[in-house]
Amino acid sequence: MNIYHPQLAAVTEVTDETVDTRTLRLEFTDEAVREGFTFQAGQFGEYSVFGAGESTFCIASAPTRKGYIECSFKAVGKVTTALREVNIGDTVGFRGPYGNSFPVDDWKGKDVLFVAGGIGLAPVRCVIWNVLDRRDEFGDVTIVYGARSVGDLVYKRELEEWGSRSDVKIVTTVDPGGQTDDWKGEVGYVTPVVEATAPKADNAVAVLCGPPIVVKLTLPVLEKLGFADDAIFTTLENRMKCGLGKCGRCNIGSVYVCKDGPVFTAAQMKELPPEF
Amino acid sequence: MSDAPDTHGATAARYFIDESGLRALTAELLAAGTEVVAPVATDVCQSPSAIASSACLLPGVAPVDIDYKLLGDAAELDLSRGLPQLSLKQFFLPEHEALCRWHQRGIVTTIEEVPTSFAPRLVLAAKPCDAAALAVVDQVMNWDYQDELWNGRREATTVFNLACPVIDDSCFCTAVASAPDDTKGADGLLTPVEGGYLVEATTDKGRAFVEGHKARFTSVDGAPAAESRERQAADERAAARVRVAANLEIDPASVRDWIDTHFEDPLLATLAVRCNGCGACTSVCPTCHCFDIVDEEEGVGHGTRRRCWDTCQASTFTLHASGHNPRDDQHVRYRQRINHKYSIYPLKFGEVLCTGCGRCTRVCHAGQDIVEILAAIDVAARHPEPVDSGAEAVKP
Repeated sequence: MNIYHPQLAAVTEVTDETVDTRTLRLEFTDEAVREGFTFQAGQFGEYSVFGAGESTFCIASAPTRKGYIECSFKAVGKVTTALREVNIGDTVGFRGPYGNSFPVDDWKGKDVLFVAGGIGLAPVRCVIWNVLDRRDEFGDVTIVYGARSVGDLVYKRELEEWGSRSDVKIVTTVDPGGQTDDWKGEVGYVTPVVEATAPKADNAVAVLCGPPIVVKLTLPVLEKLGFADDAIFTTLENRMKCGLGKCGRCNIGSVYVCKDGPVFTAAQMKELPPEF
Repeated sequence: MSDAPDTHGATAARYFIDESGLRALTAELLAAGTEVVAPVATDVCQSPSAIASSACLLPGVAPVDIDYKLLGDAAELDLSRGLPQLSLKQFFLPEHEALCRWHQRGIVTTIEEVPTSFAPRLVLAAKPCDAAALAVVDQVMNWDYQDELWNGRREATTVFNLACPVIDDSCFCTAVASAPDDTKGADGLLTPVEGGYLVEATTDKGRAFVEGHKARFTSVDGAPAAESRERQAADERAAARVRVAANLEIDPASVRDWIDTHFEDPLLATLAVRCNGCGACTSVCPTCHCFDIVDEEEGVGHGTRRRCWDTCQASTFTLHASGHNPRDDQHVRYRQRINHKYSIYPLKFGEVLCTGCGRCTRVCHAGQDIVEILAAIDVAARHPEPVDSGAEAVKP
């Protein structure tokens, strides 16, 4: 079996997150693969619809949840449009897991701050559940999540679930004008919310993911709060085909996002040439 | 893959074969079902760039296109040919190849594997720059994950180079750690001498090949009669090295480090100015290995997933689904090609992703000349003061 050979997986659950974003739950068809499959928070895979091709997304479910994986995607291209057409019981392909991961084990005893924008919550959600499934090992857990509008918030049921837990502090915010009449969260960009809700930086790590503008504006805020560059983690994405360090398109200078990433610290990001 | 080659000389097994012997050997191989690849004239020369280069204007040779082809008949063998238009890459990383096939019947999907072992093949009269490229690309194809399709073809193929007389001013193999008589990536070397070829087998695979067809070769080790032939071969090879070294001399380590520390240097944008992103350079390049993966439907419910050559010079190469493109301008895409070849790959794998064949220069309709470009970077790298007053290091 060559390295580009996909595993088959059945779609067992379909959840519409927004009008154009969908989550699929996948279970590997081969029992041995299903039982033996492991991954770490932050890793990604190549998902395929046969006939349409492969597309790269993170694994959005947590490694602590066994027996299935989940992916969330926006239907914008050929493969994601085809993925949106699949139904429960259909078969898709998967290659992975690939890439490095968030060093969750190193965060034991620390407060964890999650900051996500839009569909950037997908890779962060994997880490959130990973941390919550091992809740005793970490300090305070704070989640700041922003989207353009209430309709653009993903994982709405889970936002409610996290909000109802006493051991999680969560603040959701939508851009001005994006709120509805019954919106109970904040209105405004994530940066002031981060400033107001972040834990003390001296024993905390921050996980940040979102559109480039969210990352760009939040990094200085975290710095101002005292987060060291190696205590801020993010996950980058670039167009990929192989996921294996061969096809030659995801590199930023000499760094291959597929092999050296996708998880980088702010310190590592500052070393990268400005081409992402 | 070929095992590590010996250095020239003492440990390389040396033989002689004459023209008719080589032709008979080729016929014998073809009859036994071994595929033989060699440069052949494929058509009357159509390509202006090939005419401009001396590739098809060697003295006494009619202007024709030259390509590496699977021989159908030993009579096609003609080792007097110049540089093939495309490199040997196509026989190891085909322009497109199946990665797997899928079949859907009702709700049941099955995946059919593709073979990763291949029929034995001999490449005869490979250009040393083309064979060296195989050893260079071996590195990325085995970086953690092993590409069995590439490795399978490498294992099945025995490569004998033909010492190169040097084609034209675009050749620069000696500037990038190769040579016109290099055996890197190959299993042996043929050097034209009076009446035939001096044959050196430099790997176990090469020696086993000669051993397997012993009757066609005469051993020259310790044979005093062969001395003059060996002297002739050595002289011609030394002369070819001198000829190609006159085209370009650079310090690859300085070039590597300069590019790494001058990502935004205006010189790199200036050097890209004529490029209009057609991607011909990446097609003809023996080391460019970037690929796309696409699904090809072949009917209802079945099809083939293929990888195809791709080019970093196309804007779609890095285009995100969101519309964002990290390499959104042609000079940035050209910088990527230069950076990948002369800095990223050397930093990662310790080897330049270029063997100095010069095809990118010859094929470029816009006149991008890699020899000029490397010379300009080398000058910048050797001078601690910026050559251009606007040139400043991105990183200290």
